[in-house]
Amino acid sequence: MPDLALHIPNGIIGIPTSLAFGLAAALAVGACVAAARRGLDERLVPLAGLATAFIFAAQMLNFPVAAGVSGHLLGGALAAALLGPGLGVLCVTVVIGVQALLFADGGVSALGLNVVNMAVISTFAAYGVIALALKLLGRTRVGLTVAVFAASVVSVVAAAAGFLVEFWIGGEPIGQSFGAVAAAIGSVHVLIGIGEGVITAAAVVAVALARPDLVYALKGARIAEPAAVKEIA
Amino acid sequence: MKTSRFVLIGALVALVLAGGVALFASSSPDGLESVMLDGCETGADGEISGGACTAQKAGEHEIGGPLADYGMSFVGSETLGGSLAGIVGVLLVLGIATGLFRLLARGPGPRNGEA
Repeated sequence: MPDLALHIPNGIIGIPTSLAFGLAAALAVGACVAAARRGLDERLVPLAGLATAFIFAAQMLNFPVAAGVSGHLLGGALAAALLGPGLGVLCVTVVIGVQALLFADGGVSALGLNVVNMAVISTFAAYGVIALALKLLGRTRVGLTVAVFAASVVSVVAAAAGFLVEFWIGGEPIGQSFGAVAAAIGSVHVLIGIGEGVITAAAVVAVALARPDLVYALKGARIAEPAAVKEIA
Repeated sequence: MKTSRFVLIGALVALVLAGGVALFASSSPDGLESVMLDGCETGADGEISGGACTAQKAGEHEIGGPLADYGMSFVGSETLGGSLAGIVGVLLVLGIATGLFRLLARGPGPRNGEA
């Protein structure tokens, strides 16, 4: 099976840049540990573990986005919607760490770069969009679907933009200009983001219907619908 | 739905995705990889066979290991190895994440949550 979308292998971005982003990743993840600890009670632990395992599994499912090109879920939007930005970043970070250390997916020297893009940038971008969109659209089924879909597209494109910044600082395109790389990366990740949006919106709405209390973005409200009252375990 | 039931069903879904559905996933290069390969020709196995492209700068993975590239190098069948690697991965991630989050939930520090 091939490497997965947006996992930077070692050698593509220079070591000084990789180290600088490693430090940035450590600081951001540390801040998320502090933030997540405040909201984390023991009942949430198995659910956060499950979300992390689910993101790992979903990242293995490459779907075709164009002729000869595939993409897969990054998971930042799913984690942000279900668990909030702080805990969400930690979930995706665990996935990226396990992939780099055990599955040879994403360089170890590129771990900081990959955590910054796929965990930190993507999760926070997604959460920002979800919070704003739910405010504008209301906590309805349609509102949640649209919010999560839009958040997914934005999160993947934002993660790709993170890569481009890193590549611009510490990378060197061979046989193509930086502009061409940026245009190609941008367009293909819009398509990947749409795929991520469809999957994530379906997953989040399914959870919201079964257990609205497990969707962080709803802040304890159930989605407004004249549906039958569901049990809360 | 009870939380324990929800987690059980979710874990089973993740195992089926990683251990079964993933075998049918697209094996084309992903978005980043395909752009990095622009300018190179690749053979049927996906290895670079000529040209000049950014992907040529990518080194071998630093660790590799028995689960490298979501396979099991010591299992004869690629299908079985890929399926087992996915299942092992989901269980490992589930265990590691649950353990870390449990430590975090119990750890010291201000607890002004509405637990």
